[in-house]
Amino acid sequence: AAQERVRWGVPIAFGSNLTALGDTLPWVADRLRAMSGGRIDLRVQEPGTVIPALGVFDAVSEGKVDAGYTWMGYEIGKVPASALFGATPFGMEAIEFSAWYWFHGGKDLLMKIYERHNVVPIFCGAISPEGAGWFRAQITSLDQVRGLRFRAAGLGGRIWERVGASVQLIPGPELYQALERGVLDGTEFSLPTVDEQLGFQRVAKFLHLPGWHQPTTNQFLYVNKAVWDKLQDTTKAMIETACQAGVAYAIARAEALQGAVLNRFREQGVTVAQLPEDVLKRLQQATKEVLDEQAARDADFKTVLDSMRRFQAEHQPWKHLGYLPRNWPATQ
Amino acid sequence: MTKVPTRPGEAITGHLAGLPPFAPADAIERAVRGIGKVFALAWLALVLITVLAVAERYAPPITAAMAAVFGPNPGTALTELQWHIYAGGFLVGLSYAMTVGAHVRIDVFAEHWSLRTKAWVELAGMALFLAPFAVFVLMHAIPFVERSYALNEVSPSPGGLGGRWIIKSFIIVGFVLILAAALARTMRILNYLFRHRAG
Amino acid sequence: MLETYELIVIALMASFILLIFTGYPIAWVLAGVSFWFVVIALWGAETLDWDTFMLDRWIRFSVIVDRIWSQMQNSVLVALPNFIFMGIMLDKSGVAEKLMQAFTRLFGSLQGGLAISVCAIGILLAASTGIVGASVVLLATLSLPLMMAYGYSRQLATGVVAASGTLGILIPPSIMLVIMADQLAMSVGDLFMGAMIPGLLLGALYIVYVVVISNVSRGVAPHPPDAPKVTLGLVLEALRAMAAPAALILAVLGSIFFGIATATEASAVGAFGAMLLALINRRLDWRTIKDVCYGTASTTAFIMAIFLGASAFALVMRSLGGDEFIAHMLKSLPFGPDGIIIVILAIAFVAGFFLDWLEISLIFLPLVAPVVRALGYDPVWFVVVFAVMLQTSFLTPPVGFSLFYVKGVAPKEIETRDIYLGVLPFVAIQLLVVFLVFEFAEIALWLPREVYGAAAR
Ligand code: NA
Ligand code: NA
Repeated sequence: AAQERVRWGVPIAFGSNLTALGDTLPWVADRLRAMSGGRIDLRVQEPGTVIPALGVFDAVSEGKVDAGYTWMGYEIGKVPASALFGATPFGMEAIEFSAWYWFHGGKDLLMKIYERHNVVPIFCGAISPEGAGWFRAQITSLDQVRGLRFRAAGLGGRIWERVGASVQLIPGPELYQALERGVLDGTEFSLPTVDEQLGFQRVAKFLHLPGWHQPTTNQFLYVNKAVWDKLQDTTKAMIETACQAGVAYAIARAEALQGAVLNRFREQGVTVAQLPEDVLKRLQQATKEVLDEQAARDADFKTVLDSMRRFQAEHQPWKHLGYLPRNWPATQ
Repeated sequence: MTKVPTRPGEAITGHLAGLPPFAPADAIERAVRGIGKVFALAWLALVLITVLAVAERYAPPITAAMAAVFGPNPGTALTELQWHIYAGGFLVGLSYAMTVGAHVRIDVFAEHWSLRTKAWVELAGMALFLAPFAVFVLMHAIPFVERSYALNEVSPSPGGLGGRWIIKSFIIVGFVLILAAALARTMRILNYLFRHRAG
Repeated sequence: MLETYELIVIALMASFILLIFTGYPIAWVLAGVSFWFVVIALWGAETLDWDTFMLDRWIRFSVIVDRIWSQMQNSVLVALPNFIFMGIMLDKSGVAEKLMQAFTRLFGSLQGGLAISVCAIGILLAASTGIVGASVVLLATLSLPLMMAYGYSRQLATGVVAASGTLGILIPPSIMLVIMADQLAMSVGDLFMGAMIPGLLLGALYIVYVVVISNVSRGVAPHPPDAPKVTLGLVLEALRAMAAPAALILAVLGSIFFGIATATEASAVGAFGAMLLALINRRLDWRTIKDVCYGTASTTAFIMAIFLGASAFALVMRSLGGDEFIAHMLKSLPFGPDGIIIVILAIAFVAGFFLDWLEISLIFLPLVAPVVRALGYDPVWFVVVFAVMLQTSFLTPPVGFSLFYVKGVAPKEIETRDIYLGVLPFVAIQLLVVFLVFEFAEIALWLPREVYGAAAR
């Protein structure tokens, strides 16, 4: 059979100018054009130009576009289990998630859940942890968290709320000003490099890490099921392989940039520090409660969460013993 | 200044001043305008709710009172309520604005045309521009709302509002009302062009 | 050679311009033209084998529903009805009239005092809102009837309102700049500071123009018939009348500045404050509240309808490859760097004919920004020039969004032609400022550097 031509408009949820967060799919699309001799042409559509940034899943599901690319956590209001695939608080890091997804049943679970929505999700990008947040004052104790006016989305927000923060819903465009003027005491946003691009270091002088709420940010290429089923096997293979390369690309690119940016923040007078241990422990305890409650409400969520926890437990000794401790100095 | 006519709208007083009254059209417009007036009070509600949301952020007693209604984190619900009111308000307002003749026209040439010419243009606009677009939107809004209902879609934000299909269904409400207002306008013009020509 | 879909895009734009002169509401012309170009494109693809880019099936256009939903969820636009509510409430409660009279008394011996007041209030409003439609409508509601009553020329009156009301997108806080920063992954602070001086410069030049024209051409801005001499007592009286509304604007600005509320919430604080002033004036009865609500409903709806129509138009244009068309064109230009910038500005100017700022920020800016960066220009400077150019575009006949908004709320005796002619001198001033910022980049770059330091850039 003659080789088919594929030309899709592919809306993305993050602008392609956001390093690592937004530039993975454009890279995948370039690779696909190159390896197919232009036969597979994914035309990236910037957020909002055709499809609203948060409408990618719906549009693919209903066949309004053939494919789209987004962070899976956005689907929490429609398909609660999606939140776990997007990022699990105190959950797996990018490499661990890849291990679970491809070799411990994660992919099968997701395929089954999304099939009901006519969507074939292809894992196509994972990046380093986000920052825990930008704060106007340094967090040194658990007391400060009570009543803290903090903006956090999704599961992370639910957990902050549980530990006593006053979680605020501030629209994205207004975040910067709200933080600058003190409507907010703090906000989480994204990777430190992306935060730097948007200038958060100008308006808040304390960057807390680690990204406990989002140890990885997993993005997927959603393809409409009817469209996918009609593709030739060679085309499917190329797209799947390019996406798998996209995961490697994103992990490497995100990791490559964060060290330098933390140094730049420090030069600009930003205090970069981890959240105190008691705060993290309290957050972890709240995370368990919130995840268990959600699992009690939604069967898919429970299945996925159980599978993830089983893998984490199994993997734990290796994670603990197989690597040098995180704070082990690089040169002695 | 925004004039709010109490008599049947622009068809009689504005761009198409001089169109004769026509009872069936008047009745439909009155109904659309009545619904529009009820929903116009949303704008008062929006102001009050937003001020309440700001107060809630700083006044624990208000937070406590709101928490009784919206749950432990009332700020999120109050913030979402704002755009819910705005969304429902402007969608219903589209048809109300039509009945009071508020939609902007570039009448730099049209203002010199005869009423008959203007009536023909309006008829063509209703039939060729507004109606096909509105029908198209309706056709696709219905599955859009159904889908939200089937998924039991809720706010993705902690403490946010549930029942997303309800606010989404205002697309349907809004466009049905627009079509009703357009129908009234069309009837009024047809009456003028074909039944009323002696007058 | 142009692709078929590029030709369709050109036809789409031309059709819109021609058809708005039928006098049929702009919003539905935008929506209807979009619809028919989907029909044309699909028909051409089916029967003539046209390449219609991404517009290959009806379902592509059904994205309009998702876009309406996105418009519904746009929590930033929530400020629009609040500011409109505030304006109409101030008007119906007599507060606006008192304010304008106070300004007029103060500038009474000055030719064109009322128009100067409009500029001054425009600058103040600009500092409290960043939404074009909201400030234009607010200012027009407050001042047009009074200027008419004082015998101002309709052209000067509408021109000064349209121009001053559009300042809000440059003088911070500006939602447009926020969205541009978001699109380009730039710092909002840089853009706010960068646009500040050009915005204030524009406001100042408007005032200079009003002073000059009202002295040269005495009929356009007559003295109030009973203009008293300015005495200390008069100044105090004027100050007292100004106190209440000034407090209101300060409340809006203050709640943003002191971090009590977001800019959107501050709009509601303003509207609520207007109700309190009406109450103090003993004019807050149920009748007034209902009238204000009705007025807010129709004014908000006509603006949102234009947004909705423009969204459909943008969807079709984008699906037909309108943006790739522009990128393609920019790449093939035979000009040097400055020439390319000028072409980009010209495109921004023309794009303002068809699309509102939201769509332009979403569609065109991300498209041209990488080109500008690659040429080695400072992105802050570029966005500021671009923003001033867009603002100009909103004021330029025949298709200018600010002009539509003025027309939407103007007293009936004001014709489209008055607005078209009235705004021309202000367009000239705008172009002058575009030129100045273009030539002297420091106008845009000095303040951000002073505030944030060079190292941070
Ligand atoms: Na502003
Ligand atoms: Na224009």
